[in-house]
Amino acid sequence: MRFALDDQPVDFVDGDSVAVAVVRSGQHPQHGGALCLTGDCGNCSADVDGVPFTRTCLTPARPGLRVRRHPAVGGPPLQLDAPKNPVQSPVHAGVEVHRRHVDVAVIGAGESGTAEAARLRADGREVLVLDSGNGDDVVGVYPGPLVVVRTPEHMLHVHAHEVVIATGAAEVHPVCEGNMLRGIVLAGAADLLRSKGVDLGTTVTVDIAELARFEGDDGRVSRVVFADGRTEACDTAIVASRTKAPRDLLARMVSDPNVRVVGPAAQRFDLPPAPVDGFVCPCSKITVGDLQMVWDKGFQHLELVKRAALCGTGTCQGGVCMPHLRSFVSDKQGVEAAPFTGRPASRQLTIAEAAADVFLDPFRRSALHDEHLKLGAQMDRFGGWWRPWNYGDAMREYWAVREGVSLGDVSTLGKMIVTGPDVVEALERLYPTTIADIRPGRSRYVLLLNERGHLIDDGMVCRESDDRFVLTFTSGGAAFAEAWVRDWIDTWGLDVRIMDRTISHGAINVTGPLAGALLQRVGVAEPPKFLQHRHAAVAGIDCHIMRLSFTGEASFELHHPVAHSVELWQALMEAGRDMNITPHGLQALFALRLEKGHVIVGMDTELDSTPRRLNMDWAVKMDKPDFIGRTALARTADLPDRRRLFGFTMDGPAPTEGAPIYVGDRIVGHVASTFTSPILGTAVMLGWQKHEPWADTVTIDGRPATVAHTPFYDPEGARARA
Amino acid sequence: MHAPERLDGLRVVATPDALDHAWFEGDVVVFRIAHDEVIAFGAVVAEVPDEHAIVERETAFVGWGLSYPEFDDLVARHVEWPLPTERPALAQGMAAGLPVKLWFEHDRVLLVVSSGFAHEVVERFRLPAFAESVKKQDTRRMRA
Amino acid sequence: MNEFVETLLELTWHEPKSSYDVVIIGGGGHGLATAYYLATQHGITNVAVLEADYIGSGNSGRNTTIIRANYGIPESIRFYQHSLDLYSTLEQETGCWIMHATKGLLWLAHTESAMRNERARAMLNTACGAETVLVDPTEIKALVPQLDLSGGGRYPVLGASYHIPASTARHDRVVWAYAQGAMQRGVHVLQNTPVTGLIRDGDRVVGVRTATGDISAGVVMSAVGGNVSQIAAHAGVRLPVRTHPLQAFVTNGYAQGFGPIISDTELLCYISQTARGQMLIGHEYDRETSYSLQSSFQFLQANAIKMSYLLPFVRDLKILRQWTGRCDVSADFSPIMGFTDVDGFVITTGWGTWGFKAIPAGGEAMAELIATGRTPELIEPFALSRFAADHAMADQGSTGTR
Ligand SMILES: Cc1cc2nc3c(=O)[nH]c(=O)nc-3n(C[C@H](O)[C@H](O)[C@H](O)COP(=O)(O)OP(=O)(O)OC[C@H]3O[C@@H](n4cnc5c(N)ncnc54)[C@H](O)[C@@H]3O)c2cc1C
Ligand code: FES
Repeated sequence: MRFALDDQPVDFVDGDSVAVAVVRSGQHPQHGGALCLTGDCGNCSADVDGVPFTRTCLTPARPGLRVRRHPAVGGPPLQLDAPKNPVQSPVHAGVEVHRRHVDVAVIGAGESGTAEAARLRADGREVLVLDSGNGDDVVGVYPGPLVVVRTPEHMLHVHAHEVVIATGAAEVHPVCEGNMLRGIVLAGAADLLRSKGVDLGTTVTVDIAELARFEGDDGRVSRVVFADGRTEACDTAIVASRTKAPRDLLARMVSDPNVRVVGPAAQRFDLPPAPVDGFVCPCSKITVGDLQMVWDKGFQHLELVKRAALCGTGTCQGGVCMPHLRSFVSDKQGVEAAPFTGRPASRQLTIAEAAADVFLDPFRRSALHDEHLKLGAQMDRFGGWWRPWNYGDAMREYWAVREGVSLGDVSTLGKMIVTGPDVVEALERLYPTTIADIRPGRSRYVLLLNERGHLIDDGMVCRESDDRFVLTFTSGGAAFAEAWVRDWIDTWGLDVRIMDRTISHGAINVTGPLAGALLQRVGVAEPPKFLQHRHAAVAGIDCHIMRLSFTGEASFELHHPVAHSVELWQALMEAGRDMNITPHGLQALFALRLEKGHVIVGMDTELDSTPRRLNMDWAVKMDKPDFIGRTALARTADLPDRRRLFGFTMDGPAPTEGAPIYVGDRIVGHVASTFTSPILGTAVMLGWQKHEPWADTVTIDGRPATVAHTPFYDPEGARARA
Repeated sequence: MHAPERLDGLRVVATPDALDHAWFEGDVVVFRIAHDEVIAFGAVVAEVPDEHAIVERETAFVGWGLSYPEFDDLVARHVEWPLPTERPALAQGMAAGLPVKLWFEHDRVLLVVSSGFAHEVVERFRLPAFAESVKKQDTRRMRA
Repeated sequence: MNEFVETLLELTWHEPKSSYDVVIIGGGGHGLATAYYLATQHGITNVAVLEADYIGSGNSGRNTTIIRANYGIPESIRFYQHSLDLYSTLEQETGCWIMHATKGLLWLAHTESAMRNERARAMLNTACGAETVLVDPTEIKALVPQLDLSGGGRYPVLGASYHIPASTARHDRVVWAYAQGAMQRGVHVLQNTPVTGLIRDGDRVVGVRTATGDISAGVVMSAVGGNVSQIAAHAGVRLPVRTHPLQAFVTNGYAQGFGPIISDTELLCYISQTARGQMLIGHEYDRETSYSLQSSFQFLQANAIKMSYLLPFVRDLKILRQWTGRCDVSADFSPIMGFTDVDGFVITTGWGTWGFKAIPAGGEAMAELIATGRTPELIEPFALSRFAADHAMADQGSTGTR
């Protein structure tokens, strides 16, 4: 059986790792450096099947593998255009996640781990033992605790009540002149290689305490020079030291009361002698000379040495260098230097492995999604929903609203039923508007403010009976608003029942001068008057009809059980066929509402928009005893206001949204929304202006623009009431 | 494996105590989704001993009935949290990034999501798509 | 030999004294830059910078090093553009190699509303002197051939704003460059010296307490990053600041091959390749407030999938290390610089997830404020008093990745 190393065949036998097979062939998986074969150092890492930095000692050899050494200098190339699994969607890219819930996870099947597992089992606990020797490579221990494991087949997430880290101690690598030669192995690696029948040739075994340097020919070790001056010739140098180092990267990664460290991983070991020569960090090719240089330049702190000399920032995360770096610094500063913080990932994982079985926020579709597509809609995502942006021609949709009848899918609006003995009290506190005087069957436009008096959402309050209301919120703000309402009512301890209807009800806005006539055709003999609402069957479907107006024309929102959306939509489209009924998308809606000067929260407003800054003081009743934001509004009422939203008009085409507003050569604000209004024959805008002081004429896009009262269109609102 | 079904029923918000004593006519599966809220699939009539209870028709959910092997294969591995062992049982939470409700019966599991996410369920769990074979159910009046 | 080992900088340490004209708490970029400019521009060198751990141990040594000026309000654009300009001459000025590289920054938009924001951003930036243009998918593809314009079929790229002068620099080196410059001129930088309290004389702050003794000071400045609420509390100053964790991760180092910085306005993540060849990936801050520095796997998962959608080639890259910083996020997402109600106590905070780019301009302005007792015009909009006056510098849309 063979695989390829730099395009040359390498034979292997069953049970070989890639690294073992490479050593068996007389080669080295990298360009040199002592091998541990336990995954601790990274001196064996190579590109395996297009994945650089794969530890070959942990990679089982398989026929046909393509292994490549990294370049001797510089990093391996970025494989920029060749994803291994070129699929359209990264979802289901091939790596699966398996999940386990266990009582205790013990990391390490060495002496301490085995003993601990036995003790726990004797106590009747359920124990899962994870060890890289069995293919379970622990990537990290995270708060939770969550143990993330890479196995040859899949990723494994282990949720445990308790995690025991028993990763033992690792052998210490030699740091001396010649330590990057090929043919140097640690004692454990030598044992493993022998057990696999690898011929190591003549060996010399040395303890780092007695080691002076390695010498070699052609990059391969041929002599070991001892501290006492002795020289011994060898084919393979075996480093067997009494000094060990705790294998504590995982232990240094997490502090969680449910994570314990046992055995050698938790112990203090004597540090090896301070290094004087050689490569201390093979991953980043850092020498003891580099450490000395930065130390001499004043980087006299373990972390500063690490960062200035880049020692310990490579693939093995300190696996090789940590004891030597600590010894170097301790020797200089005269006190023992603590190890640097451990961070995930311990054993590396690919981005694909981290991304395995991960899904981002879903996109919502209204029940009418397919209807929109059938009508040729260009869909856009807005506030977490797919919504029609236009149906091919936004201006046609605009005119349908202004002159005929149109449908808009407003299913995405936030909707909520509230009732209960304290409901009026609760709403009075939630909204700055008076609620108590809304009569059943009537509705009112409301602002939602936060404690700072800043606008966070807006909507309608529809009173159904003395103690039952239906509330609406904006599409983008619905989820936040639901939590907001529930939290406050909970906090106040008021007796109110709350049922969110956002996903349960679809809503279709029937709008335009012919909207009322259309409703009459589908069974609503007498459509409600402006700001009234009631329940009625529309085309045989139970609807809650709310009459309001965002577009500026007569508008009826039909709220209905979402399963009937398609039926209702089709019935309305059918009934309006000879009226040239045309649905409208967001693009037309944004233009229509702008002519009316209606603000869209988040689009025209800013983080700190008070009603005053939006010219919406009329929607705030400061004489109410309390509502959210009242204290802040009262406090800031007398402060000079420095920024305000104004309406502007100008000749010619509308400038780009976001255009700066100038007075002279000073920028005093920017335009929030713009539209070239065909019906008004002028560009209409909402824009922010700073008080320097308020200017009536400004310059936008190099042209004069004037402050204008909103609504720009139908200021008396006659059309909405018609 | 079966195509998903639209689930019709009643959603009720009432005091926790009232919900403990609520009665629904017929063959009904009741999901207690919060201390003060239930969805009773299959219900058209409810009696809830709370004069302020909100009782509304609920048509926003779809469900996939899965055998345990199907569930284990397609859904369970996307669930990061422990699953209940008692039967029947309701579990709610995120799976594959979607808010799901799981109803564990003796011989099958019902995976329930709001219909706005049905297309995502199909993609993420590789479950069969929603066919428009919705059985019509008339809106009858209910007693609160 | 690794070409990125620091060879030029030299740090000189001093024995502490018991009194200084100015004591700066926090040896991060802002503290050290302030000390540097006090010394270089105002000749004030009787200054100590007190650092709890080692210099750069806070966010200044943990950030993703993006330097840009494409903010959303004129005051901010001007401030950050000035900082960007100072960065571009910092190597010359200090003689240090901070690995400054101009890369350009693309803010990707996937929806019409995001396009609208980017269009607006480009207009306002250009008007205020920060070079930003709107680019279409074809132009984006030319800049980043690796980008999947279909966004994995889920996040199609409709366009982007391209902020041309955006750059990066090695974070540690920026900290050390300022430290070296300050130290050479006699500023004392004291490591392992956490400040445990402030010394008050009536209404004035007149010094600091440390484990090794009190130090008196003419002026005390707090530049402690995410710990600011604790230090300010010693002075009796309440701040509209919350501390949130911010995480990031890098892959191993690969050969150079990825040009600009890519940031996604919807997915709220960003990526660039460091001078050492690592792909560096960051994200918006964690939503919950916390002082914890532990990293989460959820963070890795979310960013890994997001990047896979945009840049399919990243899938086979190996993740080297992830980490977390503690960010001082202000209520309006703009910095807070200047005087407090307490005499002798000035602050620089609210740097959140965006303060690395501000180190030169922030340090320079605070030095001038301390030296002259007056607030420089450039930072007047960022005074703490703006909150009580209800004049927030609201710019959430420009934080982090947006
Ligand atoms: C992951 C991450 C990515 C980021 N990416 C970017 C980016 O791309 N671009 C950008 O512009 N910004 C970025 N930032 C933000 C930026 O790093 C910070 O805003 C900036 O470094 C703040 O500098 P500072 O000097 O105010 O604080 P810090 O660097 O945090 O320094 C504060 C110092 O004060 C010390 N200290 C604390 N308490 C005490 C005490 N009691 N006594 C003495 N000393 C004390 C700390 O030890 C620390 O060294 C990022 C931040 C993080 C965490
Ligand atoms: S030889 Fe593979 S990690 Fe050390």
